[in-house]
Amino acid sequence: MNIQSQIDRTKGRQIFEIVNILFLFLVVASMVIPLLNTFALSFSSDMGSMSPTIVLWPKEFSIEGYVTLFEQVKIAKPIINNIVVTIAGTFLHVSLCTLTGYALSKEDFGAKRFFVAFILITMMVPLQNIMIPLYLLYKQLHLINSLWAIIVTNMITGYTVMLMKNFFESIPKSLGEAAYIDGAKELDLLFRVYLPLAKPGLATVTLFQFVEKWNHFMESVIFISDPKKYTLQVALKGLVVDSDASSSATFITKNAQMAGVVIAIIPLLLIYPFLQRYFLSGLMLGSTKG
Amino acid sequence: MTHIDLKVKESKKISFWGSVISDFKRNQSIYALLIPAFIFCILFYYYPLFRGFIISIQDYALIGESSWAGLTHYKEILTDMDFWRSLKNTLVIGGGNLFFGFIIQVLLALLLNEVMQNKLKRFVQTIIYTPNLFSWVAISGIFISILAPDIGMVNMALKQMGLDTINFMTSEKWITAIFWFLNTWKTAGYGCIIYLAALTNIDPCLYEAARIDGAGRLKQVLHITIPGLYPTMKVVLMLNLIASLRMFSQSFILTNPSVVDKTEVVMTYTYKLGLQNFRMDYASAVAVVMLGIIGVLTLFYQFVVKKTER
Repeated sequence: MNIQSQIDRTKGRQIFEIVNILFLFLVVASMVIPLLNTFALSFSSDMGSMSPTIVLWPKEFSIEGYVTLFEQVKIAKPIINNIVVTIAGTFLHVSLCTLTGYALSKEDFGAKRFFVAFILITMMVPLQNIMIPLYLLYKQLHLINSLWAIIVTNMITGYTVMLMKNFFESIPKSLGEAAYIDGAKELDLLFRVYLPLAKPGLATVTLFQFVEKWNHFMESVIFISDPKKYTLQVALKGLVVDSDASSSATFITKNAQMAGVVIAIIPLLLIYPFLQRYFLSGLMLGSTKG
Repeated sequence: MTHIDLKVKESKKISFWGSVISDFKRNQSIYALLIPAFIFCILFYYYPLFRGFIISIQDYALIGESSWAGLTHYKEILTDMDFWRSLKNTLVIGGGNLFFGFIIQVLLALLLNEVMQNKLKRFVQTIIYTPNLFSWVAISGIFISILAPDIGMVNMALKQMGLDTINFMTSEKWITAIFWFLNTWKTAGYGCIIYLAALTNIDPCLYEAARIDGAGRLKQVLHITIPGLYPTMKVVLMLNLIASLRMFSQSFILTNPSVVDKTEVVMTYTYKLGLQNFRMDYASAVAVVMLGIIGVLTLFYQFVVKKTER
């Protein structure tokens, strides 16, 4: 009796495992098929991409879509703008937040609690809630229709500062003290002792910010109206959403639309596999925003 | 007596300011490092927050003097049907996002946890996290193409099954469900990985004890694994709640005239009012009200969590 029930259980277990794996594969398929479809359509010919079949492999392989994208839609400028704001924005964000996080990780200064609270509170005030006064401020600072508007927005965030602060705090104090006794100054300590040890934290924060800046959208919508200053996501919205919903003057084929999507996601797909462990550790350290 | 009291007070005062100054001198370099962040936060967070509130109680003029309006704009909100519609949509879309996202994330984490083959587990994790990397524009582009009425994959399949095709993106009946689906699709892997990490923190002794007591796999999951996830659920749900209430991009991108009734949320409404129609004073009032609603709902959430903890 007992043995019989145990056999039943392992049998039930086996069935469960098979069903489980099938279900997980279905979930994986729901993520892979749309991507496959996107890539396949982007490498199909104009006619092939508009034909009514389910496409998972390029139909009449061609790069017409990409040609249209660069020659007619003139996507090069938005791509360059996007690269500029991503590199400059990520660099400034990471350096400033690291400096701040490092200072806050120190234990022995009087106003520590004030500054921690001062920076934490800013997390409750995202761009969405202050877009109008921020727009007026940017106007006074002559940042409207300038790529600086996107670089400056969220240049320092409570999230990253706290992440770096926690990271520095996890580094043993004795290391810094030893160097301090040897006569190192605060900045020496930071650059010679702490930063080399904080590389995983820096990598995590840099990657998150890279993704964030590459994908930035709201900043562009709010602060940029000059088409010459459009960044990739805004240009892409015009290409894949607006030209589809309304009847625009120029008809854009599907392969060009999907080529735009591919260009928007390819840098992210390329860095992700190599640096996955940093992404994961970043997720563990903190959480996200909308 | 009073003389002595006074003296004590005075010496305390001096020692307080004295300690502030000596602290400042001793930690000069730390305070120097904090200057950029201090200025940035004042200029780009605190000042706009304050100014937004001021504008909301003014009749704001783009050029020239603005006059005070008191609470007029706040009163106007009460009877503004468009605001209430956008608030309703925020709650409906956000609530669905929260609910379906939560179910799928926890379910995936539990199911993945049962997978014994480590390589397979890693593979699934890697794949399901990828959509979270993509921007809302890219995701919208992908699904607009898949759900397209004439040549989209889904409608092709419907046609082959002999069903009517559906124009998903312009159908009031479908668009809310599409929003829920896209959000769940995007965030499934991200939440799943957080829950999986929390699972590894559950004490293995608990499972062993349960096994010895004769508890089956399902009972172990129900009584050990899921309760072990409560602390993580609380944090994730709270962050997702706030993010849902602040939704902007998804709605801004996918709203079109035929579905605006179902998709306009408070943040996109604020944008439309303030930066397209230039009614900055009224839009600021809406933004302030929304900050209040977020605050109240967050507090309410924490209250409920504390109540259930006992």
